[in-house]
Amino acid sequence: MATNRSGAAQRPNGAPQTKVCQFKLVLLGESAVGKSSLVLRFVKGQFHEYQESTIGAAFLTQTVCLDDTTVKFEIWDTAGQERYHSLAPMYYRGAQAAIVVYDITNQDTFGRAKNWVKELQRQASPSIVIALAGNKSDLAAKRMVEFEEAQAYADENGLLFMETSAKTAMNVNDIFLAIANKLPKSEGGGSAGAGGARRLGDAEQARSSSCCK
Amino acid sequence: MYQDNEDDCKFAACTYFAKNHPGEMCGSNGLPLTPSSITILGRAQRLLTIEHPNLCTYLDVIRGKHERIIVVAEVIGKSLKECTSKFSFQEIVNIAKQVAISMKFLHDQDITHRTLSDDNILIDNEGRVKLFNYGLYYMTDGGSEVSFPLGLPRYLSPETILSGGGPAADVWSYGIILLELSIGKLWNNLKPGPILRRILTLVHANNPAERIAREHDCFEQYKQVPENLRNIIEKCLKIYPSERATFSELVEDLTKIDSKELVEVKTPRGLMGCKLQYLYHLWQLAGGDIQAELKKNYLIKNSPPILSMPIAILLDGCTIGGKTGALFDRRLAKYSLDLLKSRLSHVPPQDFYPLMHERRKEYDAVALPKIIRERDTEYQFYRLLWFHRLLHGYPYTAPYIRAEAEIDIPPLVRGDVWAALLGVVGDIEDQYERIDKETPTPTDRQIDVDIPRCHQYCWLLCGSAGHRTLKRLLKAWLLTNPQYVYWQGLDSLTAPFLYLNFCNEARAFACLSAFVPKFLHKFFLKDNSAVIKEYLAKFWQMTAFHEPELATHLHEINFVPELFAIPWFLTMFSHVFPLHKIVHLWDALLVEGPALPLFMGVGILRQLRDTLLSSGFNECILLFSDLPEIDIGECVKESIEMCRSSPRSVSYRRFTNEAVVKDPMDIVEIPMEVLFTEISPRINLSDFFSLICQDKCCVIDIRSNLLYEKSCIDGSINVPYSGVHLGQHELRALGLHPQKVIQEAIKQKKMVVVASAEDETAQLFSDYLVKCCVPRVCILHGGISALLTHVPSLFTVPPKRNGHK
Repeated sequence: MATNRSGAAQRPNGAPQTKVCQFKLVLLGESAVGKSSLVLRFVKGQFHEYQESTIGAAFLTQTVCLDDTTVKFEIWDTAGQERYHSLAPMYYRGAQAAIVVYDITNQDTFGRAKNWVKELQRQASPSIVIALAGNKSDLAAKRMVEFEEAQAYADENGLLFMETSAKTAMNVNDIFLAIANKLPKSEGGGSAGAGGARRLGDAEQARSSSCCK
Repeated sequence: MYQDNEDDCKFAACTYFAKNHPGEMCGSNGLPLTPSSITILGRAQRLLTIEHPNLCTYLDVIRGKHERIIVVAEVIGKSLKECTSKFSFQEIVNIAKQVAISMKFLHDQDITHRTLSDDNILIDNEGRVKLFNYGLYYMTDGGSEVSFPLGLPRYLSPETILSGGGPAADVWSYGIILLELSIGKLWNNLKPGPILRRILTLVHANNPAERIAREHDCFEQYKQVPENLRNIIEKCLKIYPSERATFSELVEDLTKIDSKELVEVKTPRGLMGCKLQYLYHLWQLAGGDIQAELKKNYLIKNSPPILSMPIAILLDGCTIGGKTGALFDRRLAKYSLDLLKSRLSHVPPQDFYPLMHERRKEYDAVALPKIIRERDTEYQFYRLLWFHRLLHGYPYTAPYIRAEAEIDIPPLVRGDVWAALLGVVGDIEDQYERIDKETPTPTDRQIDVDIPRCHQYCWLLCGSAGHRTLKRLLKAWLLTNPQYVYWQGLDSLTAPFLYLNFCNEARAFACLSAFVPKFLHKFFLKDNSAVIKEYLAKFWQMTAFHEPELATHLHEINFVPELFAIPWFLTMFSHVFPLHKIVHLWDALLVEGPALPLFMGVGILRQLRDTLLSSGFNECILLFSDLPEIDIGECVKESIEMCRSSPRSVSYRRFTNEAVVKDPMDIVEIPMEVLFTEISPRINLSDFFSLICQDKCCVIDIRSNLLYEKSCIDGSINVPYSGVHLGQHELRALGLHPQKVIQEAIKQKKMVVVASAEDETAQLFSDYLVKCCVPRVCILHGGISALLTHVPSLFTVPPKRNGHK
């Protein structure tokens, strides 16, 4: 679990000094659309056909390098079942980025994704970068949500949009990179060390928030 | 391995390959197709539960490499094919009757045999007949999961050859076998093609039996067959399946002809009198290896991989050439029990019949870890016999079962023992039968997406049989518990019960239904937030109680259980660990009761202690997202130790199924808001009283010394709260005497009870002690005043000490 907090300072002399930014990213969407699989593909490059369901949430980190910046994602992968909905604010509160995932073979999950977008626009931090991911694009033969429909919706709402496949790895890194590019990388915004404010485990926050309601 | 002494061979194995799915085919949901071998394994589970005196009991179905299936079943005597001497007509009728009885039993269970032939009807010296491997057609789903044809050509009925056919085809095969027994082998030396053609030409015959006899120049011989037997044969050999007799009719007819009842075989005494399943299990523990024997007898041949490679692979994944499909290998490997016999030869005869009320046997093996005990032949032998005895007497033996389960549970009878521990009684089949498990509900979608992700590494649960049963169980449970809803995780919770009761759905259901109220009361309410919050708060208190240093660190980095422990408790760890670990965890859970899970949580933290102590928030949460290997044996041992050493009231929760306590001595409940702010748990007056009586606690009275000197709890020490510097987390700061007393208490593993006049100071002071890494700190509920009201006898006036003002 090497941390990049002081990554820049540790570089050998002479190497170009890069900025290290840390961002909190949350994945939302109906259950079984492939949120955990996207994260697993992005973080470990793996794919499990029988990825277990997520209860509560899981946490993973991954670092990506842009031209002059190293971006460290702190990824909260949430439970998809509607019943766990009340836990979600605990995870998206203070997040700088969100990926809302739906399954292109299931129209209902797209509807649910739209609701998540609405909720984020209303409740989350106003500057949050939202990406929409139409996952399972390897199952295009069974497509129920048209690419154009989702693209139009994303354009209307100013979302990044890609169709992804955790199974084939298509667009998985790309969508995270696109988010990393879009995030503001000013020193005050997401730079290393200032983690406290965005940290989710704030005891007061967690205790006062309604968990599992 | 054909033994000289056939009696020694109790079971045999045969093997075949399941069909291979071409290429990497995926189902419509994008998931890979279930391998045929897994489907077969799932279907075969039902066969393992069938017991009938005329059927060879199935003992095991093993999945080998490359879609190989190995079937292990009981054997007796030899097959009709191997019997060289001719049977008398009386004997034939008797064989016919026994076969008909077993076939009627199978048809009543909706199992079609299809492969009935002279080599799978076994007969022993006393004339007892048993069918062997009667489930091939059933386990391969009518042959669709294998690439070879089922059944020997000469026993196939005309409709089977043409289009498949149903159970009536078994009657035809039966008729042919009787005819063969009467007039000799049919169509000898003919190849399968001509045999099938011969059978099909019978379609035009009025009396196929006579026609066959004529074809074989045996008409005269056929006429000499007693008329009643001939009638039976002719009733079976009708061209139209609907005209054939059924096995129930045949049993009736044959009973009239043959009144000879088989003498009930006396079960032998000693080892051979044990249940065959037990013998097989023990034989394996003693080193018996089914696959090795198959290899030795060339039933499993290892050919160089190059020989089985296809010559060409098409773009769609279909292959040409390479390994060609083989016919069903009819050979058997028989196994002798000599290995087991010699392993247990020193066991005295009386040990085979343990008496319920005799003193519990002491085993040396108890000192070993459970996983090792489970592999110890002799230990398992004793344990199995003993549990078998106890389970036989259930429910009257429930307390004995509980006491034995506390030591360990033999894996072979775990399903039975769990049901007993959960108090499952009554006509559970009937109750389960009545529940509507089919009508669609809005929850189905969620269940459908969760099941294919639930413990899918397990061969039983990942097949279609497992999926279907799990869904039925969940639907049945939701329907009978309308107050609850489906929370993700309920699937994982149900899985262990299904795993242990795969062919006893009703019992799996009864176990689940008994488990939830006991361990997860109100957890599956639509709004369970209060229940979960209380549970996590108690878990955090128990962590502070037993692991103060760790708790302090986690508090400091704002690492709260809401972030990681919800799946632990909501599913009783069944979402966190693989099944082989869950069973050991739950073995303990079912014996110890509902307080244990809290301590299991602490036990897990304790194993990760060093890593957690040196980690910050992110590292900690990462650790739990990808939980490292946990030693479950150690975790169970420690959690039981913690659970038993903690006074009951310390882990009190309001949301349990237990009766409400009314006695002020027993009350320990506090408002939820207060609970969330307290790091140390409270202890009620009666627990406190018994601790005092046993000299198992160190009481710290934090009132002013004025009040203390007026009257105090006998044996307590006084540390006036007003003099404590909360900022200094060192015991030394409390003064020399209190430091010595507390350190002594820690050494002797005593509880450290904070007694105060008001809650707030007690809370702050107990937090302080936790930060000083003092374990087992709790707060006296109600404080000094409550104790004075209810147990004034504990109070005394302290002797004036020198140097005190």
